[in-house]
Amino acid sequence: MQVHADRDKCEGHGLCADVAPEVFELDDDAVVVVLHEQVPSALERKAEAGARVCPVAALRVST
Amino acid sequence: MSLREVVVVGGSIAALTAVETLRMEDFDGRITVLSDEELPPYTRVPLSKGVLAGRESADDVVLAPLADEVDLHLRTPATGLDLEAQTVLTPDGPVRYDGLVIATGARARRIGTPGQSERVLRSYEDGLRLRDDLRRVSSVLVVGGGFLGMEIASTARELGRDVTVVDLAPPLDRLLGTTVGRHVRAVAERAGVHIVLAHGGVRLLGEPTPTAVETPDGHRLEADLVISAVGDLPNAEWLAGSGVPLSGGIVVDERCRVSPYVVAAGDVTVMATDDGALARTPSWTNAVEQARAAVRSLLHGDDAPEYRPSRYFWTEQFGLDVKMVGPLDPQGQPAVLDGSLDAGSALLAWPDAATPRQVVAVNHHTPPAKLKRMLTGARRTQLPA
Repeated sequence: MQVHADRDKCEGHGLCADVAPEVFELDDDAVVVVLHEQVPSALERKAEAGARVCPVAALRVST
Repeated sequence: MSLREVVVVGGSIAALTAVETLRMEDFDGRITVLSDEELPPYTRVPLSKGVLAGRESADDVVLAPLADEVDLHLRTPATGLDLEAQTVLTPDGPVRYDGLVIATGARARRIGTPGQSERVLRSYEDGLRLRDDLRRVSSVLVVGGGFLGMEIASTARELGRDVTVVDLAPPLDRLLGTTVGRHVRAVAERAGVHIVLAHGGVRLLGEPTPTAVETPDGHRLEADLVISAVGDLPNAEWLAGSGVPLSGGIVVDERCRVSPYVVAAGDVTVMATDDGALARTPSWTNAVEQARAAVRSLLHGDDAPEYRPSRYFWTEQFGLDVKMVGPLDPQGQPAVLDGSLDAGSALLAWPDAATPRQVVAVNHHTPPAKLKRMLTGARRTQLPA
């Protein structure tokens, strides 16, 4: 599984990182960073949950 | 009793989060979602911005899809509830549940007459219609200067339209406090927006399409397009007479419970606030967090944690990114923790720097999670992850 973050759309609310801190982080400009190029299978469900909660739909999951 | 069939009524972020939470909590029964929307769950946040401006389409707002095994019924409104038979009524027939999550949200409040085709912005379809309207007009009048009204004004200005906002009180003051409210209004006015105060409210004029408003003192404001952004009403009418407690929304307890095997979350709910009054909190974060709490109490009863709203609100308009934690409408002058409003970026706290009850970041890159930790008593009121 991969997660694509649209950093232009990201508004830095950080709800993804609240749900899945192992997968998402905000950088110094409060823009999202995806921590894994390939999401480890144990974290897939959390990564999906983190992506779904984005209020600006900036995160897309693909398998 | 172990739940085998959970029905979620609603099709927006609270419903989606409820489904997500059921799966995270290893619920392995059947999940049915009844949504009256045309589209699968999407975010309303970009409707007043990218969608209105024509930059974003359905693909940009639809949230990541539900898992295949979730039974999602679109264009399926719930029309009634039989608590005793544990059944939701729909035009397609009754749907039985062991556990029910009500997340039917809210709809735009309207102030026009039945003969008027009042323009509002709540659904994706509303967004498309207003986008097309905006292409055809040169002047826009926005009734209501809350977050939504001011965001619409911002986008309309960005598109080069002549924009007026009319409200009962200075826009945003009751949300962001007078200091930040005044700052945002000044930026909006520099961008060319006219702000008009109409004590006592306005009446929409023109049928079927309103093209003016009239203030109580007889003053008329005209525009090619009049948009109402005057708040929202909970979608709770379908529960009248069902036995579900209603008082300006569905009354939920401290664990988001409504009655045995029934919980509710999001814009449709009212909850007791610190001073005991029942209030709604129609916001994205509340919908998400309340849905999580509601599902946990549906599954675990009293063992689930009580719901403590984190109260995070934001707005993006006129190049300003405003993020706020704590109860809306901070009173008095804030302490400046960093930067300054005049310089364009500021971190402000009320009532003082030592014991903040509210913190607002204006174009300031402090992540909201950090803002929440700054609040006095943050540790006490934080929800367990």
